[in-house]
Amino acid sequence: MSENMKSILSLLLFPGGLAVMAAGMVYEFIDRKLVARFQNRVGPRWFQPLADFIKLLAKEEVIPEGIHPVLFQWLPVVAMAGALTSALYVPMFGLEPAFHFTGDLVVTIYLLSILTLCTGLAGANVANRFSIIGATRTLTQLFSYEAPFLLALFGPAIAAGSWDIAVIEQYATIHPWLMFLQPVGFLVALIGLMGKLELPPFDAPEAETEIVSGALTEYSGRGYALFRLGRNVELVIGLTLVAAFYMGGVANPFLFIAKTIGLLLVVAALQSLFARLRIDQTVGLWWRSGAVLVLLQLLVLIVLKYFGVAI
Amino acid sequence: MPETKHSDKFIVPIGPQHPALKEPGHFEFTVDGETVTGASVRLGFVHRGIEKATEERTYIQDLYLLERICGICSHVHAMAFALGVEKLAGVTVPERAQAIRVLVAEMERIHSHLLWLGVAAHEAGFDTLFMYAWRDREKVMDLLEQLCGNRVNYSINVLGGVKEDVNDTIREGILNAMDYLETRTDLYLKLVTTERTLIGRTRGIGIMEKQTAARLGTVGPTARASGLERDIRIEAPYAAYMQYPARIVIENTGDLEARFVVRVKELYESFRLIRSILSTLPAGELTTKMPRRIPEGETISRVEAPRGELFYYIKSNGSDKPDRVKVRTPSINNFASVMATAVGHKLADIPMILSGIDPCFSCNDRMVSIRGAEGRQGVDWEGLRRYGIEYYR
Repeated sequence: MSENMKSILSLLLFPGGLAVMAAGMVYEFIDRKLVARFQNRVGPRWFQPLADFIKLLAKEEVIPEGIHPVLFQWLPVVAMAGALTSALYVPMFGLEPAFHFTGDLVVTIYLLSILTLCTGLAGANVANRFSIIGATRTLTQLFSYEAPFLLALFGPAIAAGSWDIAVIEQYATIHPWLMFLQPVGFLVALIGLMGKLELPPFDAPEAETEIVSGALTEYSGRGYALFRLGRNVELVIGLTLVAAFYMGGVANPFLFIAKTIGLLLVVAALQSLFARLRIDQTVGLWWRSGAVLVLLQLLVLIVLKYFGVAI
Repeated sequence: MPETKHSDKFIVPIGPQHPALKEPGHFEFTVDGETVTGASVRLGFVHRGIEKATEERTYIQDLYLLERICGICSHVHAMAFALGVEKLAGVTVPERAQAIRVLVAEMERIHSHLLWLGVAAHEAGFDTLFMYAWRDREKVMDLLEQLCGNRVNYSINVLGGVKEDVNDTIREGILNAMDYLETRTDLYLKLVTTERTLIGRTRGIGIMEKQTAARLGTVGPTARASGLERDIRIEAPYAAYMQYPARIVIENTGDLEARFVVRVKELYESFRLIRSILSTLPAGELTTKMPRRIPEGETISRVEAPRGELFYYIKSNGSDKPDRVKVRTPSINNFASVMATAVGHKLADIPMILSGIDPCFSCNDRMVSIRGAEGRQGVDWEGLRRYGIEYYR
């Protein structure tokens, strides 16, 4: 098989593209089912995410007046593309990442932020008051969790001495689980992921009892479907990153499934345990405790590294 | 989009259709960023004209109609009306019937407070508590169905007594359910006073001082959470509350947490009352004979609904139909407190403050005629009819 053919396949089918989308739906189902069971509900059937997706694609996309229509239609596509691209640098399904280069960790984290950024822009683009408030909250939340999340993923990078996701993952595989050596980083990364995905209790940007559906209030049909799918893809990628860095790597598909689903169980439990945080409480939580603690840990790591202590 | 007058105000409309509202009402909150700087309310989307309709029906028919004023506290409406009419007719209702009325009223209070706990938790984004509270509410709903045959409009009252009796199976069922619910309530009380994310959304939010609460005329748990001792069951005992006295539940902080705590603690009070009624249920008849025509006169009848004081004014002209029935539901007294406490809070707190009074919109929508400087505003029947035809043309 030619090199070009291989690249195209990995982009469109496996491990990028379709495979990631399918995984996103499966993980969305598991998440919804778990939360439902924790809340004493029945929960969706296994094909519900797919059915939702098809239904949304089939629906008419209503484009509201007084907006930039090109932005309105293309923002979801960009968001989806960002999420799918980031999948190429992550050891999806326990396989080697499709591509890797020095510094792909930083690129991946920025690619993951595109979805949030697009959501914020999409909300600010329309003239709906709920959307505008939702967009403000989405972007506020982005600025609050992004830095601690980034720092939390830098912990393992510093320990491994590389900015390459594949190298860090190999380091994590042969060393003891980093979640015990860097517990603060693990917690911040996990909770940062929940903030990134706007899962409860960090769902102030789309709090339905306050601002209907937040930034995506005016979206229906295809755009909404893409935003949702993009978020599911991010869920899988985020879980993979945290599992690969902090839970002793994902060396093979079996370990990948076991570790990410184990992590998802924790995420689902956290989702059903708390009341929603107000946006000012979210920002306070991240900057007063999250960022400070993870910075301290990073400082300790750097100092230890400087003195040549094996970590 | 019609061109509107530009102003610097950013107004967030909540309602008439909004996910936070289970019934239509319209609220406009002026916000500056996330902070609310002004609030206004407009009600009246679900006015049904029940008061007028009662004048065209007999007392017996009215009982069924009035029960449908509220889908949550239907029993207290029927009870208040029945108590008023019985007072007008000078009839003494058997003790057993009065005790069963109180029994159902307290079970209804449990179901209403658990429903509110779920709704308030949902407004706070705490869906787990919402689901748990509503699951436990099913217990008491099932009991009400067993006892009365209906889950919502129990329809146990008749003029002069009650329809259904409590037998041993039902008594056992109720007592078992009370034990179960009491352990659950322990959990909820612990939750609303110790769960940190929930406290973050309730403690110090929507504080209403005792003076403000008294000035705005708040009633029910909303008033009691501000330290106001208002409970009709204690101030003016009706039905069997003389034999089974209720104890008042008071909190002094006046914030949302206090409203949670008052309602949860009132559940314990209801469990105690229900147990005490079931252990000493007086024997005797269920109904007494009622005259079809009620003697001329007027009366008021007050009962403590789950949301506060429910007030009925009944005027009789000596026929089998009332001359006038005036209903004042508790929510209308409490609405002003939302507007008074909302300003200065974050937008995220508004749905919680709103649901903190446990509002019931369709109960309190009335037609109001305003006597202003330009004289009396209003329309006559013919004008209203023409307006309706024009509106839908």
